[in-house]
Amino acid sequence: MITLGIETSCDETSIAILQDGVLKANIISSQEFHKDYGGVVPELSSRAHLQLVLPLLRKALSQSEIELKEIDLIAATAGPGLIGPLLVGLSFGKSLAYSLKKDFIAVNHIEGHIYSGFLMNEKPNFPYLCLVVSGGHTLALLVESESEIIKLGGTIDDAIGEAFDKVAKLLGLGYPGGPLIQKFSEEGDPKFTAFPIAQLDNRYDFSFSGIKTSVLRFIENNYKSSEIMNLAEKENVAAAFQKAAIEPLLRTIRNATEEFDVKSVCIVGGVAANKKLREEVEMLGEQRSLKVVIPKMEFCGDNAAMIALRGQMLYKNGVRHDLNENAFPRNPINLFRQRPGLV
Amino acid sequence: MKRDLIYTCKSANPEETSDFARKMKSIFVPGVVVSLIGNLGSGKTFFVKEFASAFGIKDVDSPTFTIVNEYVSNQKIIHIDFYRINKISELYEIGIFDYLNNPETIVFVEWGNLYPDILPEKRFELEIESSENNHRKICVYELG
Repeated sequence: MITLGIETSCDETSIAILQDGVLKANIISSQEFHKDYGGVVPELSSRAHLQLVLPLLRKALSQSEIELKEIDLIAATAGPGLIGPLLVGLSFGKSLAYSLKKDFIAVNHIEGHIYSGFLMNEKPNFPYLCLVVSGGHTLALLVESESEIIKLGGTIDDAIGEAFDKVAKLLGLGYPGGPLIQKFSEEGDPKFTAFPIAQLDNRYDFSFSGIKTSVLRFIENNYKSSEIMNLAEKENVAAAFQKAAIEPLLRTIRNATEEFDVKSVCIVGGVAANKKLREEVEMLGEQRSLKVVIPKMEFCGDNAAMIALRGQMLYKNGVRHDLNENAFPRNPINLFRQRPGLV
Repeated sequence: MKRDLIYTCKSANPEETSDFARKMKSIFVPGVVVSLIGNLGSGKTFFVKEFASAFGIKDVDSPTFTIVNEYVSNQKIIHIDFYRINKISELYEIGIFDYLNNPETIVFVEWGNLYPDILPEKRFELEIESSENNHRKICVYELG
């Protein structure tokens, strides 16, 4: 079975081809691609996605040596995301399905991330604890099967990736913040200062707004502004922040593996690319004899491989969608089951 | 253009900010656009979260990454963030005017001061200043 995946929920345009369990292509638009097709395009535009989907599809087909008519299933992201970009990918997927007379599945982008561990050779075992950590999301989930997901908690304010970006900006490091904080942290002392870690009523919830404010206050109180901080000072603050941002994730893994019968731990989303986080989680997994699955970099950020995979998984479970499926900007509130006893 | 200071609030803690936000329900009615102005960590998202809770909306989070969040209950609230926008053409591309010109929705725009010209002349501006001990000073201006 050959599945075509289409992802356009935010900044990235991506097309993937999955043949049964084998990923044949996973093309993600880059600045290079923008240059090749259509010059400079605003990053967030629906038009950029529109210009990219066809060339990306051609590239994916030629790389896989597969013809369009050989595709059995088309899976496209329907949400959550920006409505304009979503509509581009979804309409493209539906049009292809209609014209080629193929089956169609609308995929939830977050579910794509949640099951992205299955793109790896070493796959997670159910039930697994899944931390979705990205620029837009921070979720702690108990994934019981291909259809059952229980929400343990989530961020009550900023997403973790957003905290990385904003702290990088406060320190004058630039954008995107994740890789820069990681780079500066390598030489810094994580014990330089202790930024507070939020304690919330639900121990599986997260808050990253407070850490951001603490970093701001720390810079103001000690240096007035980041402009007069020297390199070592920036490295130290970055390292101390990174430690405080990662700790709540490690705490969640410790708590969840004690409370629930968890077979594996899976960290997904853009922040899963963070080296320190990967190391710490691997170490924790070793201590507790837990299988740790963290997708490789290409599956951490937004990508169509995970959309194809989730589409194929749903299809094999008997799910079929018609062409009336619409795009949705936000997740429905009842997407995940709530933990029993949690108010 | 007219810019009148219509409310000020000195808040010593999140509870007081929350009370003030909920009270603004009588001022920020459907059809209005509120530009939120304040530094990182001043509490712009918190204000919207508390305002929306007065309508029973509980899923408010930061729109920095998503650019636009839509919350639906008996009142639709649009929560926009200009923080990550690099140039004004990106706002045209995401269809900003579809969000701004709807008489049935209440629109909040974080970092609205980055692209003020794209916002309607008739709008509110809410400035949040944080000071030591986590105190906040909030000023509401009516424009146009």
